[in-house]
Amino acid sequence: MTNPNRASEHFFRRLLRAILPLLVWLLHFAFCYGLAAAQCSPGGLRAGGPDRMAMGAATVAALAILAWLVWRGRGVLGRPGEAGLWEWAAFLFAALSLVAVAWSSMGILLVAGCA
Amino acid sequence: MTAPLPEPIPRPEGELERLEDVWRTPRGWRFLTSVNNTSIGLLYIGTALLFFVLAGILGLLIRTQLALPDNGFLSPGTYNQVFTMHGTVMMFLFAIPVVEAIAVYLLPNMLGARDLPFPRLSAYAYWAYAIGGLAFFCTLFVGLAPDGGWFMYPPLTGTKYSPGLNADFWLLGIGFIEISAIAGAIELIIGILFTRAPGMTLGRMPVYAWAMLVVAVMIVFAFPAVIAGTGLLELERAFDWPFFIAERGGDPLLWQHLFWFFGHPEVYIIFLPAAGMVSTMVPTIAGTSLVGRRAVIAALVGVGVFSFGLWAHHMFTAGLGVLEMSFVSAASMAVAVPTAIQVFAWICTLWKGRVQRGAPTLFLLGFMFIFVMGGLTGVMVAVIPFDWQVHDTYFIVAHFHYVLIGGMVFPVFAAMYYWIPLINGNRLSESWAKWVFWLMFGGFNVAFFPMHITGLLGMPRRVYTYAPDLGWNGLNLLSTVGAFVFAAGVVLFALDTVRTLKRKTQPVGNPWKASTLEWLTSEAYGNRSIPRVNSSNPLWDQPTLSQEVDEGRHYLPQTATGHRETIATSPVGAEPRYLLVLPGDSWLPLLAAAGTAGFFLLLTMKLNLLATLCGVTAVVGTLAWLWQSDRAVAQTEVDVGGGIVLPVGATGTASHSWWATIIMLVVDASIFASFAFAYLHVSMRLQVCPPPGSSLPPGEQAWLSAGLLSAGSVLVWLATRAIGKRRMPWLVLAALACALASFGVDLHGLRAADLAPSESAWGAAVATLAAYQGLHIVLLMILAPYLALRGWRGHLTARSRATLDNIALVWHYTTLQGIAWLSAVRLVPLLME
Repeated sequence: MTNPNRASEHFFRRLLRAILPLLVWLLHFAFCYGLAAAQCSPGGLRAGGPDRMAMGAATVAALAILAWLVWRGRGVLGRPGEAGLWEWAAFLFAALSLVAVAWSSMGILLVAGCA
Repeated sequence: MTAPLPEPIPRPEGELERLEDVWRTPRGWRFLTSVNNTSIGLLYIGTALLFFVLAGILGLLIRTQLALPDNGFLSPGTYNQVFTMHGTVMMFLFAIPVVEAIAVYLLPNMLGARDLPFPRLSAYAYWAYAIGGLAFFCTLFVGLAPDGGWFMYPPLTGTKYSPGLNADFWLLGIGFIEISAIAGAIELIIGILFTRAPGMTLGRMPVYAWAMLVVAVMIVFAFPAVIAGTGLLELERAFDWPFFIAERGGDPLLWQHLFWFFGHPEVYIIFLPAAGMVSTMVPTIAGTSLVGRRAVIAALVGVGVFSFGLWAHHMFTAGLGVLEMSFVSAASMAVAVPTAIQVFAWICTLWKGRVQRGAPTLFLLGFMFIFVMGGLTGVMVAVIPFDWQVHDTYFIVAHFHYVLIGGMVFPVFAAMYYWIPLINGNRLSESWAKWVFWLMFGGFNVAFFPMHITGLLGMPRRVYTYAPDLGWNGLNLLSTVGAFVFAAGVVLFALDTVRTLKRKTQPVGNPWKASTLEWLTSEAYGNRSIPRVNSSNPLWDQPTLSQEVDEGRHYLPQTATGHRETIATSPVGAEPRYLLVLPGDSWLPLLAAAGTAGFFLLLTMKLNLLATLCGVTAVVGTLAWLWQSDRAVAQTEVDVGGGIVLPVGATGTASHSWWATIIMLVVDASIFASFAFAYLHVSMRLQVCPPPGSSLPPGEQAWLSAGLLSAGSVLVWLATRAIGKRRMPWLVLAALACALASFGVDLHGLRAADLAPSESAWGAAVATLAAYQGLHIVLLMILAPYLALRGWRGHLTARSRATLDNIALVWHYTTLQGIAWLSAVRLVPLLME
């Protein structure tokens, strides 16, 4: 039985919108780690070490999405008192994830091979 | 203009008495049947603190042994058991349970609910933990305690090097205690999202509740990895399936991945609840709202997500690829950012307000000092070359004690000083508190700071003694002295707690002038009426709230159905949705928990007959408990006040139990994903997959099996549309026949393909996926007749159909999992070609 007063709150849509940057970080991390691990194991060994071009492309894509999400959410800075929790969270997550992806991708520039 | 209150006064005569009657806590022996969150929460906290003391005594034994070089106080074998149990008990029987226990006790009151949504599940989780945990601890007295270190690395813990039962006790004992933690997590997620007071939107929800929500979600994703890992290691030990034996294609690193994929989030699972408590206490003691509240909440979520990318920093010396390590190293540093947001928010809040001096303040300041120190050494060990130097030395021991004691024990002590008045209205002694704090704070730093230096001087962790000429003597003696001083503080605290709890009950009031709802007057039934909340600091911004709630002027000041009940609200806006009828006290959760604990522990001791009896007791106890649930009550709608008429109960996606089942299935899917990862990991170590001499059954059999599973699901779907009709039970039984036939096809195919699990890790991994599917088929063999019986007895109706809907979810999941395992085992060899 449902409550006649019940209106949809779009919980999952709101949640997804807020945590999207964290998911981008997670996917980027999983992709880069997984590719490096797979291409350094006997079953998927790649001559010359992991494919840094693929990782680089994934990183550029992730950074572009995150930069766009930061830009989209920048409005909260102009009205700190009024923005709701969801908006704040989306902006902070975008900024945090942007830093985290940029920082954790340094290795791709610096390290080659599996050893 | 203020809105009128939902209910008028005076309240009808006898209303309060009826409420009290329904919620009365049983006395004497029958107290053990109590399922109310207040009773279970206190028992849970008490038991967790008992384990803290017991594991603390083991810590003192370790320090006594290491006080002097070449000491013979403990033999090497005993020392191994003592340090393993110290770590294991502290982590699994104290740290995780105590944070869940405090949440079970505090959260309903803080959210304005009468109880958690599944009180009998809380009781089951508690009793399984208490009985199993105490029995597990007793293995120490008969020399059977685990001795391979708290993270149980194979090959040391394989049968070759650990032939006794010691490791099995860890694997089976801890494995099922994790199930209890997961039960608690499901309870907390649903409680937080479905039972908040009307008006308590997610934005207004206390930061502590946010922290527990994040932690519970983390438990759902992190614990399955270690459950899968313990399952694999036990399969290796019991049946010689060589997952971790390199000579037969296994890999000891597989264990490390699975263990730390749980183990690192675990650190945050312990720390974030403490951070949530700190974010609740700091504004109170500063008398001002939390600075950067939204940023703190976002930081909690950020830490929770980032923590899943850090597991491999425990494996920097294990031979991973450099690039992989660089990702993990960077993520380990990145997690410091959201953690620092919280620390700065606390400092700013203290700065902004007028700080009340008192025991909680002391412990909170102690926490900040120690935790920040631990965090800084954490960043140091995230730097790979530094970690290579200090890995497995006392520097690491110092680091994680700073993080865990600083980040969790000190906040928990602050929390006890802060919240103990809720029990009987008496505060702990302020003058004793100064002694307790300085003994603990001083003792802690004297004990653990020198370990940084002993570690840098090269002392490895876990050694049972050391030679006198290594330059470690003075530092070790100092650490031992510090440990005993710390323990003296804990003893003094325990004495004061006993003294305080024996005092006469006083009115609780609001001793710290806090802003959160747990300081409303509360009895076994929670608050007299369920408040409407308009702010994130309700007791500050709604000054008459306490009086209004006590007078019964808010929602549901009565029992509307004659049963225990609370208001279910919407997850985001906390608008009332339906009346959630709660189950009452019962022996059944205790019986089921005792059966579960007995099953696992007796199985370890290879007492198979007794273990089977206990297993049957657990299943029958659980079914009997479920049999009583999901019954429609007389009323279909009730007036909860303020002109709000709510339906009694809900079905399908509106129901809390439907979502709880979904979360349980997410746990299930995560365990399956861990097994699938194990399969992928051992496959990737092969040059050719399947390895020479092994094969998979022909593809047609997989299609047949998947087809049968799908047919079963279709029949169950038809059953959900035939509720109240005579064909419903027969549809379910026909679906069971399909599921059994599907698994029969799987087994036949595997036997025909001559898959020998003990010959290679690859074969073992395939067999594990099949066995996990088999476990689900066994579950369906129990659920289908149960469902049919309920149908025949008339206990499935349009208003009480949760049993059918939830079992249908389990059924469809089993179908999907079946298709997933059949696809995965075939897909990986194709990808590797």
